[in-house]
Amino acid sequence: MKVIVCYKIVPEEANIEINQDGSLSFANAEWKLSQYDLNAVEAAMQLVEAVGGSVTALTVGDQKIENSKLKKSILARGPEDLYLVKDERLKRADTHLTAAVLAAAVAYIGFDLVLCGEGSSDFYAQQVGIQLGELLQVPVINAVSKITPAGDRLIIERTLEDEIETLELSLPAVLAVTADINVTRLPGMKEILAAGKKPVTEWDLHKIGIRHAGPRVEEVSTLAPEQVARKKILVEGDSEPKIAEFLDYIRKELK
Amino acid sequence: MRRLKNIWVFADKASSLAELCAGGRQLGENVAAVVLGGEETARQAIEQGADQVYWLGLKAEDKMLEDYTRTIAGLLEKHRPELFLLNAGRRTKVVAGRLAALFATSAITDAMQFVIGENGDLQIARLVYGGLAIRLEKPLSAMAIATVGNGVFKAAADGSNRQGTVTEVPWVEDGCRLKLLERRARDTEPVDLAAAARVVGVGRGIGKEEGLAMVYALARQLKAEVACTRPLAEGEKWMSPERYIGVSGTMIKPDMYLALGISGQIQHMTGVNKARVIIAVNKDINAPIFEQSDYGLVGDLYKIIPALLKSRL
Ligand SMILES: Cc1cc2nc3c(=O)[nH]c(=O)nc-3n(C[C@H](O)[C@H](O)[C@H](O)COP(=O)(O)OP(=O)(O)OC[C@H]3O[C@@H](n4cnc5c(N)ncnc54)[C@H](O)[C@@H]3O)c2cc1C
Ligand SMILES: Nc1ncnc2c1ncn2[C@@H]1O[C@H](COP(=O)(O)O)[C@@H](O)[C@H]1O
Repeated sequence: MKVIVCYKIVPEEANIEINQDGSLSFANAEWKLSQYDLNAVEAAMQLVEAVGGSVTALTVGDQKIENSKLKKSILARGPEDLYLVKDERLKRADTHLTAAVLAAAVAYIGFDLVLCGEGSSDFYAQQVGIQLGELLQVPVINAVSKITPAGDRLIIERTLEDEIETLELSLPAVLAVTADINVTRLPGMKEILAAGKKPVTEWDLHKIGIRHAGPRVEEVSTLAPEQVARKKILVEGDSEPKIAEFLDYIRKELK
Repeated sequence: MRRLKNIWVFADKASSLAELCAGGRQLGENVAAVVLGGEETARQAIEQGADQVYWLGLKAEDKMLEDYTRTIAGLLEKHRPELFLLNAGRRTKVVAGRLAALFATSAITDAMQFVIGENGDLQIARLVYGGLAIRLEKPLSAMAIATVGNGVFKAAADGSNRQGTVTEVPWVEDGCRLKLLERRARDTEPVDLAAAARVVGVGRGIGKEEGLAMVYALARQLKAEVACTRPLAEGEKWMSPERYIGVSGTMIKPDMYLALGISGQIQHMTGVNKARVIIAVNKDINAPIFEQSDYGLVGDLYKIIPALLKSRL
């Protein structure tokens, strides 16, 4: 089975800074693999370990996706090769553009199954996988919490708000997996070293036949909401007198 | 506020349908509801604010809600509303995404506010970066598609005198290619955290499931509801998903939030940062939660919780 996993490069939320006017500064932000995409990679690896085949990783974005540490980090998790579609027009691309670019890329690469994460850590639209499947006109579904191969078909379990569904689908298909479908493995030194030697292919939009990369939504503003000011009174230590001091504060508040 | 001309709505829950019909009225001159359900539900949509109902009938046993996507697409294609609203759920996000692809647009998910500018421009707000910021976006396509969170709109009080039309719509082959084999109810826990005045939240710092017993005891003593962080509900499955708080879980606004063994990452704090008082216990003095709390105690939960219980707080 030829599996492609789509992963996104996102800023580490903890080091996005808030400017005086509420706008965000990414100047000191580290970039990382979107957290729940790691579960998609793990799901792909488990599937291929069970039935054979290959796992290819794919991301699309601006120049940040080229960072060599990030490339190693995804490949160390198991995929045998990596494709990047890099173009400055893909900076903060909306879900439609992202899905359209991914659709063109996976068609070039060739696949039986595309796996996406539950949602990206930065926008968490939970949309790209669904739109991708529909653009490709193949079966597509989200909330997949279990994948069982059955010949040329898959049996999947879907965890919804108040029910669990079992579905059968034929390949090719696109699935978005839940964040708790598996526990991800941490790559060891050996995997990290091997990752450096795996093939990486870089394309731009032109190469995959995309001429128009216009957005369907325009960002008007991105602002941090005003926060309730907190007292930040800190009691250090869990000795009896310290706990008593802490209790005094709480008692006053809860009266 | 100016209004749009035509708004269409669809929901997979009765309470959401009522909210979206009311929201449609607020934002638009004409509201059409696509209803999958009984005839009664179709009629109710009119009372709730719809001018036209496109009635898909009762959902067939062997179909999923998602299998009605092409049917809905056909209606939208014909009537071309400016805005199509769905409630925010896992199934409706599939419908929204597939429609977005069919109409070559981006669906805006988990919308929390809609603004129509002086020039009639629609702008939609949603949370991004784990709740760190609110992003306002303007759809550029002729039809905008958005999924709307619970409670963004308030259902109308009484519309029993409203008039409207109901049109039956046949199902259109979906090319869905997914076969439903089995469906079973999931154990859900009816808990209304949003209504609780006091909430005790517990995080990965509790370390083991047995530790929860003392947390429940403390919550009882405080007359508080118990909540948790996402990894406790999802990874560990020590609590039901209804109990996790945050940007992708429940958002609460209690009088007091007591956070036990929670690091205070943005995705979680977004769900509680409107609490009147936030109190945190964490053994790490550098845990980000202390920056976002009124009172903090640095120490071990396994010493502190028993002491709090003994103190009869
Ligand atoms: C797209 C996305 C959406 C998300 N949505 C949510 C959401 O809605 N809600 C949510 O909660 N999370 C969400 N998360 C996860 C979130 O990023 C954090 O991973 C999570 O909130 C951390 O949970 P925690 O604080 O329990 O665990 P940790 O971050 O591991 O923190 C545990 C804390 O316990 C302390 N501790 C350990 N032992 C003790 C002890 N004995 N005594 C006292 N303190 C101790 C540690 O110092 C540490 O600070 C989301 C993530 C993503 C990517
Ligand atoms: N730029 C991207 N490159 C590759 N995959 C992506 C990208 N953006 C989103 N995805 C995939 O689509 C999923 C859903 O993203 P989103 O719709 O932004 O929540 C992610 O978990 C990824 O698997």
